[in-house]
Amino acid sequence: MSTPSVLTTLPAHGVGSRGDLPLPFTALVVAAGAALLISFVAIAFLWREPRLHESDGVLLPGWLAGILDSRWLRLVAQVLAVALTLWTLLALVFGPDSARNLVPHVVYVWLWVGLAFASMVLGPVWRVINPLRLLHTGVLRIARVSPDLALLPYRWGLWPAALGLGAFTWVELVAEENTSLGFLRVLIASFFAISLLGAAVFGRTWFEHADPFEAWSRLLGLLAPLGRRDDGRWVLRTPLHGVNTLRGQRGLVATVAVMLGSTAYDGFSANLGWATFVQSSPLPSSLLRTTTLIGFFGLVALTLWLASAVSVRLAGQPLRQSVPFVSDMAPSLIPIAGGYVIAHYWSLWVYQGQEAWRLLSDPLGTGADWLGTADLVPAAALIEPTLVATIQAVSIVIGHLLGVLAAHERAITVLPHRAAVIGQVPLMVVMILYTLGGLTILFTP
Amino acid sequence: MRAFRPLPYAVTVLVLAGTLTGVAGCASSSGSTGTGQPVTTGTGTGAVKRLEVTITGTTVTPPPAQVEVPVGTTLELVVTSDHDDELHAHGFDDEATLEAGVPTTLRLTATEPGVYDVETHDPPLTLLSIAVR
Repeated sequence: MSTPSVLTTLPAHGVGSRGDLPLPFTALVVAAGAALLISFVAIAFLWREPRLHESDGVLLPGWLAGILDSRWLRLVAQVLAVALTLWTLLALVFGPDSARNLVPHVVYVWLWVGLAFASMVLGPVWRVINPLRLLHTGVLRIARVSPDLALLPYRWGLWPAALGLGAFTWVELVAEENTSLGFLRVLIASFFAISLLGAAVFGRTWFEHADPFEAWSRLLGLLAPLGRRDDGRWVLRTPLHGVNTLRGQRGLVATVAVMLGSTAYDGFSANLGWATFVQSSPLPSSLLRTTTLIGFFGLVALTLWLASAVSVRLAGQPLRQSVPFVSDMAPSLIPIAGGYVIAHYWSLWVYQGQEAWRLLSDPLGTGADWLGTADLVPAAALIEPTLVATIQAVSIVIGHLLGVLAAHERAITVLPHRAAVIGQVPLMVVMILYTLGGLTILFTP
Repeated sequence: MRAFRPLPYAVTVLVLAGTLTGVAGCASSSGSTGTGQPVTTGTGTGAVKRLEVTITGTTVTPPPAQVEVPVGTTLELVVTSDHDDELHAHGFDDEATLEAGVPTTLRLTATEPGVYDVETHDPPLTLLSIAVR
């Protein structure tokens, strides 16, 4: 007998109670064929001399650049971000511990997925509106201390960001009580504490390099059509130009591996066969899930390094060269990660993202409607199945295309001339595997 | 300015256009087939589909599978567990209490396309997923 009841429980998996239909077989075949075709055409016909320059791009008209640079625009965005943060903290401290609390939606949908989409359109927006960065700047200003105050030099590159992203994706995809209020309080309090401590010791460099959300926003923001060319002026440019500005740095390979591996694991773990295996295994399910998530990170890093090792050997260089080379090539996986993000999170963002407005109107769970959005019914036009399947297949194929082109440009830049074409084949093989893997994950029910 | 090389752009545009039309054209017409042993009474909108699931410890019979239903179908899910538990149909926002050995029926009407999991909580098990088209 079914009893209609107020839900006290939420899905173990983040906040989405609705998944996408499996990708139709035809879409799988067409997209896979397109990815293969693109790869072979690229090998045969692409440019032979580096051709992406940081001075490229179509200049934006002066008035538009003026708006983008204006202090007012930044101020408005910062005020909104701070207001939303305080609103969320209010619900975190005083809100109900039930599905009516807005915190899980703000954290897992707006912050994580929304930030990814916003960054892919507008660029690295989080560094402008990061409320913790604003808090840090504000405190230093009030104390009349230089904004560059740092006690110790910072030297770990993106490694802390990679660890932070890995931990956050574990929380989102594996942790069982990840929508309960007690869990979220500990999570958010620890993040605030670590960030402010890091900023206090290492100065604002901490946000620049070690903050996981700034790294997430900055790396995906490279794909944005909006950017600054080398003289600092605003231009419209291709995602390739953004990706090409990123140089290898410490922890970049790990960060990219986490970005790609976590999204792939998210799709993979929605697979019924996997769920059946986990629940019928005698091993604890959290152990299996955690190991598999880390395995996905490791698989991306390992395949990338293997491809680089083969490349440098083909180019006749010593094997130790594969370490700088893998770091050089890692940026070209960012378009693939972006394609995965769009394919996996499109419907969560455009549908569940609207749901957040409903919850936002009642932060204390008292039945209030402070924003007038309590009765909002999410529009389903953007999650129409054919549209979703098309967006998924096309974003994965475009991600693959951009990844191949970015890798090509980088290979002819860093490899000796005669070895550049053959040297990029191993990485292309890896990219084909990622793309076919990503499509298969979307196709499997 | 460098010379404009049209070939890569042309190939790219062609491939993407091909993908777009190929996917959009076929996405609505094909689909994977669901498993499980549903007993369908009637077809199309307003139809009722009945499914029986048994839980023994952590074993789900029939094994978890994706059940396909058209929008508008009502799914009658009869669940019998060997222990007390909570039954939860995601997306349908429907819950029921399972008593050991007593068959419990959940009637779920599919309104929005998508995939929805039906789960129990103690231990957490996925019983099946419902693909609404």
